[in-house]
Amino acid sequence: MVSPVADGRCRRCGSTLHLRKPGSIQNTVALMAAAAALYIPSHVLPVMTVVEIGVVTHNTIIGGMMTFWRTGAYPIAIVIFTASILIPLLKIVALTWLCLAATGRVHPSPAALGRLYLLTELLGRWSMVDIFVVGILVSLVQLGNYMTITPGPGALAFAGVVMLTMFAAMSFDPRLLWDRLDELPGAPNPSTE
Amino acid sequence: MKPGFSRTWRSLLSWPRPAGGRRFSACHFCDTLHEANPVAEGTAANCTRCGAVLYQNRPASLARASAFSLAALLLMVLVHVFPFLTMDAASLRRNLTLIGAASALIHEDAPLLGASILLFTVVAPLMLAGGMIYVCMPLMAGRAAPGAFIVAKWMYRSEPWNMVEVFLLGVLVSLLKLAKVADVHFGVGFWAFGGVMIFMAAAVAGIDREELWDRLEVARS
Repeated sequence: MVSPVADGRCRRCGSTLHLRKPGSIQNTVALMAAAAALYIPSHVLPVMTVVEIGVVTHNTIIGGMMTFWRTGAYPIAIVIFTASILIPLLKIVALTWLCLAATGRVHPSPAALGRLYLLTELLGRWSMVDIFVVGILVSLVQLGNYMTITPGPGALAFAGVVMLTMFAAMSFDPRLLWDRLDELPGAPNPSTE
Repeated sequence: MKPGFSRTWRSLLSWPRPAGGRRFSACHFCDTLHEANPVAEGTAANCTRCGAVLYQNRPASLARASAFSLAALLLMVLVHVFPFLTMDAASLRRNLTLIGAASALIHEDAPLLGASILLFTVVAPLMLAGGMIYVCMPLMAGRAAPGAFIVAKWMYRSEPWNMVEVFLLGVLVSLLKLAKVADVHFGVGFWAFGGVMIFMAAAVAGIDREELWDRLEVARS
């Protein structure tokens, strides 16, 4: 059978065909580095500015979470902690590990790492919740002199982190892990099965 | 494929396949090549090496995908007509809608954030549900709609950017944040968007990707 990849284009939908995603590791590392660079500003800069009867307060994501924790709203504090602090960090760590395994610097255990990859793809989107909260609050709380909320630069940085990590996860090719496994001594040869 | 596999039995098991020889399926996850034999309705074929799902045979696939995406599209109308939340504070009443949230951000000098809300909660769900119904409804009559191949491609591309459920969580978090300063109520829009979330998930799970593309190719030939 002639590989359809030789045609260059999919006969059904016209997409470009390739055996492995081109430049997978480079793209993933570049997008991830950009996401990591934005991670600190996204938590230091205010995501929104509240003006309440002339008093201006700048809110960060961590500050908002602490307020929920102090007022006893533990479940919602844990949700915000997981979605906006833990998941982006875990994604960056997981993708670094995956890239190291795919380039042969760490032992590739594709079954376990594959699950890790699926998890990062599944969880990443939930970080967007903070951006949606900013949008909702800015839209609702426009009460003239009494109280107004405006978005801050931290929100844009955080949206950048979420979207860059999503693109990084998409550009990683999990097949590279299995390719590494096949190269290891003692690996079963799939062509003889 | 077993040699004694009769044609009628196979058609009971699976959707119509494009003509031409043996069919293969490469695992999208680990690239192991499998012979793509039909599977019984309601079951899935898994990769022998990594266990990922290769393809599934969903019951009443076209009908379910069309019906659920139609339901999602109808509810999307309600989502844009009725507010998600209504807030009463300082003798003012404010309503939350998706377009309202996006345009508020655009007016407050955050056009990129506004555009991303629009993209993730309005455009992507519309592409997914609209594309699904555009492709699947004509397929029920064995026809491929004009441009169905391009529509199907972009429909599946929009899938990871569809964040209906994340926005609903955002509404709940905002409600808790505002409960101290104002009187906040759920509106019809919130429940309708909840329905959109469920019906979209059901529509996407209703038909397997492989089956959709096979049926498109059969309809074209």
